[in-house]
Amino acid sequence: MGGLLELEGLTRRYGTLTALDGLSFSVPAGQVVGFLGPNGAGKTTTMRAVFALTDLDAGMVRWDGAPVGEAERRRFGYMPEERGLYPSMLVGEQLEYLGRLHGMSAADARTGATTWLERLGIADRTGDKVDALSHGNQQRVQLAAALLHGPELLVLDEPLAGLDPTGIDAIAGVLAEQARSGCCVLFSSHQLDQVEDLCESVTIIDHGRLVVTGTVDDLATSGPRRLVVRVEGDREAAWALGLAGVAISEVYGGAARLVLDPSVDSESVLRTAMAAGRVTEFVFQRRRLSEVFREALG
Amino acid sequence: MSGGLIAAVVAVFLILRLWRRRRPRVARERQARSGLGWLSSDVGLVAAREVRERVRGKIFRVGTLLILAVVAAAIVIPRLDHGTAQPQRVGVVGALSASLRAAVVTSAESVGTTVDFVPEADEAAAHASLRSGRIDLAIVDAREIVVDQPIGTAETSTAAEFVLSTSKQLGVVEAVEAARLTPAQSSVLAGAKALPVHSLQPGKASRATPTTSVIGIILIFVMLSQYNTWILMGVMEEKSSRVIEVLLAAVLPIRLLTGKVLGIGLVAFAQAAVIVVFALVLAEVVGSDLLHGTAPVELASTLAWLVLGYSFYCWVYAAAGSLAERQDQIQTLALPLSLPMIFGYVMALTAASSGTPSAFFKVLAYLPPTAPFAMPVLVGLGAVTWWEFLASAAISIVCTAGMARLATGIYRRAILRTGGRVKLREVFARAAG
Repeated sequence: MGGLLELEGLTRRYGTLTALDGLSFSVPAGQVVGFLGPNGAGKTTTMRAVFALTDLDAGMVRWDGAPVGEAERRRFGYMPEERGLYPSMLVGEQLEYLGRLHGMSAADARTGATTWLERLGIADRTGDKVDALSHGNQQRVQLAAALLHGPELLVLDEPLAGLDPTGIDAIAGVLAEQARSGCCVLFSSHQLDQVEDLCESVTIIDHGRLVVTGTVDDLATSGPRRLVVRVEGDREAAWALGLAGVAISEVYGGAARLVLDPSVDSESVLRTAMAAGRVTEFVFQRRRLSEVFREALG
Repeated sequence: MSGGLIAAVVAVFLILRLWRRRRPRVARERQARSGLGWLSSDVGLVAAREVRERVRGKIFRVGTLLILAVVAAAIVIPRLDHGTAQPQRVGVVGALSASLRAAVVTSAESVGTTVDFVPEADEAAAHASLRSGRIDLAIVDAREIVVDQPIGTAETSTAAEFVLSTSKQLGVVEAVEAARLTPAQSSVLAGAKALPVHSLQPGKASRATPTTSVIGIILIFVMLSQYNTWILMGVMEEKSSRVIEVLLAAVLPIRLLTGKVLGIGLVAFAQAAVIVVFALVLAEVVGSDLLHGTAPVELASTLAWLVLGYSFYCWVYAAAGSLAERQDQIQTLALPLSLPMIFGYVMALTAASSGTPSAFFKVLAYLPPTAPFAMPVLVGLGAVTWWEFLASAAISIVCTAGMARLATGIYRRAILRTGGRVKLREVFARAAG
């Protein structure tokens, strides 16, 4: 497996509203790519455009250099933001049906359904109707529907929404595994900081435009340094006010998260903190994706 | 009508061509890949799912059984009444000669019944028996027939026909006796037969009765209403459950819709076939004359227009279903959609009853929304030529292809818009934009 999804100049207008404004980025195989942005940034419209579910005013979606057509889309897996399955259809039959729509034989679709239901821990619900399942289990069936035909590209719209930490871990495991097997994985989230550990690369958009794209490591380690300092007895971090070249980005639990200009010497910051009281925490941190986003927007 | 069936096949062929031309390469790939042909294509899979889910549903099974029960009742009950008809009980006051008795028996046979003679002591006793229902008529002193309720000359019940026939027969016998004819002359008179009647115009011996036309129209109306409602509901349910986005990620809208209307159509016509075959077999078994006199041409025309009507309306209802996502929105949509059908239905019933279709009605027979009702009536009345029939079918097929294209466009734009009923204006505004 292995392929490259390229989105080139995607533009979509709804009357006076511009949902996508010349958006271009690419998703390489073998990586989990986070597609991030605030609500209304255009993530869902972009993902729908990959599956021709929205008309584009301009732009092109390519797979391995060629325009994406119906045959290519049938080799993709999709989990839409608004989850949907036939409520009164049996879980196993439903997965088999969806697998066959993606070109699988009946036997392969049945095997794929069984494998994925087992893998996601709901093999015992194969014979149940979908509406008899809990929300979390329906979400698992939905994920199985996107995966069972062994897609070359996996597009998941807000797959973490409504999941507990165990569910998030399970999804993260599946996505990493798919990427390792050569699949192209793109998933969206509006909670930027929640997905840092889940993906190798991110593409952040806002108002239908690309804000920044790159590997998480590059984005997190570039830009001004982040320093978290906790001074005993000073829960408001008053000691840091007025420090030249130092901005307080956040104060939480008595600790101040500071953004240092390149010219600032961290030792001078430490000395100022020690002068204010006993320093119980002094640690450099990576730049968060939410900070990358804010700083990119200026 | 083989022309109608050919027309229906051509309709399906044109629709198939329409989507194949849109994606010729993909279609060829799919056909090459699949050894089972269209059945294992996405259209076949969607259709098969529709068939499976519909047939499995309790509503379908119970509904079919109910319809069969109603059909059985409509066929069997009149026969029960007919088959177990009691002999006509004739009260006799005073003397009734053997020749008069024989005349009464003959008139009973002529209307398909038998006679029991019941002696009555006097006229008062006969009146009492009539009122109590113990006898059906009384012959008083061979000069008068008394019945309980007045009988009109147009009445067609066995009892009424028997009374009228007996009255005529006894009058003739009395006149013969009064003429004092010889037994040989009486015998000649008794053997009198009606003269054959020949018409100058060619006969239409197999012409269906207006009743049969009406049954055909009712069949088309009920079936189109029911099956198109299935489509409306089916499309709406896929939208409201949001499964549609998953489906459309793998299947083109035109093929998803084609599979859906094909699947529901298959179930619908299988149900219709079961009902018709059941009705025909049952009518034959119990000897019902309800369907006798139905011309094969009219039966075929009704079936052909059932197919053509479904082919046209299924796209209309599919597009409408994509605009709604709740039951109450469906109800708001269903009424205006059904108006052309109700109009065609009422006009067809009126024309079938009057037997003389107006020029306006003939125009309706060429408009795809009303043609499924109007054209079979014209066929039944013999008021249409084969080429007029085919012209109407051709118009319907062309409009069906256009409607399929329009409906798919509306469906594609509206089906993913959630959060309220989508207005057609919005759909076309987006299409223009």
